[in-house]
Amino acid sequence: MNLGRISLNAFVALTAAFLVLPILAIVPAAFSAQSFIRLPPDAWSVRWWGTFFNDDSWRVTLLASLRVAAITTVVSVVVGTAAALGIARSGPRMRALLTGLFLGPVVTPAIVLAVALYSMARATGLVGTTVALVIAHTTLALPFVVLNVGVSLDSLDRRLLLAAAGLGADDFRIFRSVTLPLIAPGVAGGAVFAFVTSFDEVVLSIFLAGPTVKTLPVRIWEEIRLAYTPVVAVGATVMIVLALGAASASRLLQRKRS
Amino acid sequence: MSSRAYRLGSLALIAPAILIAVSAFLVPLARLIGLSFSAKGGPFVAYAHLLGDDVYARVFANTFIIAVVVTLVALLVAFPIAFALTRLSRTWRGIVFACVLMPLWISVLVRTFSWMLLLERNGPINRFVVATGLSEQPLSLLFNHAAVLIGMVHVLLPYAVLPIYAALVRIDPALLRASEGLGASAATTFRRVLFPLALTGVATAATFTFLLALGFFVTPALLGGASSLTLSMLIDGFVTERLDWPLAAAASVLLLIAALVVVAIAARFVPVGALARVHR
Repeated sequence: MNLGRISLNAFVALTAAFLVLPILAIVPAAFSAQSFIRLPPDAWSVRWWGTFFNDDSWRVTLLASLRVAAITTVVSVVVGTAAALGIARSGPRMRALLTGLFLGPVVTPAIVLAVALYSMARATGLVGTTVALVIAHTTLALPFVVLNVGVSLDSLDRRLLLAAAGLGADDFRIFRSVTLPLIAPGVAGGAVFAFVTSFDEVVLSIFLAGPTVKTLPVRIWEEIRLAYTPVVAVGATVMIVLALGAASASRLLQRKRS
Repeated sequence: MSSRAYRLGSLALIAPAILIAVSAFLVPLARLIGLSFSAKGGPFVAYAHLLGDDVYARVFANTFIIAVVVTLVALLVAFPIAFALTRLSRTWRGIVFACVLMPLWISVLVRTFSWMLLLERNGPINRFVVATGLSEQPLSLLFNHAAVLIGMVHVLLPYAVLPIYAALVRIDPALLRASEGLGASAATTFRRVLFPLALTGVATAATFTFLLALGFFVTPALLGGASSLTLSMLIDGFVTERLDWPLAAAASVLLLIAALVVVAIAARFVPVGALARVHR
């Protein structure tokens, strides 16, 4: 192995560490015995985990996050799968137009979308409601579902649909017994993306959440702009664990697909 | 089934998604554009105010410079990583890939919070610096340009690695061997063969990173100081502190225009739509 190879490998190792280690640094902070965060903690305990799950103001935000993410997932999977089916049936010009429309929220800076939706929500009295958060998160999650299901549909063998039709199955029957089982991994992958997109979302939620409905990232955001205790690190660790769970689920689905 | 019924069926399937895209994206944006012309003194007062003030000019410049520097640093780090990924054994490639993709699953808020803990006055980096005698006093690492740069590169690096890797794996290794066989040095092979073939990937990576950096909010807001104000922080301030909707809307429209210009220029060379694919 020459010097160039060794230094390249060292650079890769350092960069990999730069990407991963800072995120994991939060975890020890969540197990501190002190009332302030010091890394690594001088003394260890799980007292802040008790605070997180017993304190209503924290537990409620976790439940709100899970609820909003679950509804967002259902809405965007149903609407997004239907849209992907429709797009697969339409001509190239319609396809390009719709792709542009659905990609809009992806290239729009989050703060711009947040302010635009906040102004809408104020006009309609929806600020601080689950509805507003679900609509906002669905706007962001929808492109991922449409894209994922679209990829599955593109690799679908059209002859199977023709065979089913030839055997006398109607449209709905074909969808239920042929199309859906074959695109199921794509739909499930889209569902995982939609859930995480909603669960991780900060910028839109900061503007749209209110005292009655507040998600976990919004509570963490409010807390770390002021003085914070290790309970914030517990909240962040909960977010890491959930995100990594979703990442593993997505990997399993991908392996199933190939 | 008649083609008319078929088309109606397709439209019915897409309709709910279009309804969401229109009511939760196009209409709010149109409303925002309308608001930007609604300042008391006349339709262009908010824009004149934003474009005629030195303070705001500095914020625009700052936003642009941060985005440029973050993009350059991300590309410089991402290229060797992407190159190494094409050379590593299966196992190691899997491990390095996991390290690149894992951060994309974690909320930007959590990733930024981790840098707050690492860079703070009593954080591990400062404790190391003081313990080893590199400095007598803890350094102020947080709330400045450097902190914003580190945090943003950390968050945006995966968006740079993935498109470059996608371009590099498509290069036929025979071309590189041929270049070597013809007596070219490693540097020449890189400059004349590898880099030109990877150019689309690099341009895609630059587009993604720059586009996202331009509108970044969470990371500069938490890691930056008063001197590293960006356009997105300015917009937030207009809404939440000054409650000045025409100004907030006009600043948002300017940011949106900047993003659209980037997309319009880049779309002629790279697949901008792939941004939705890079997300995890």
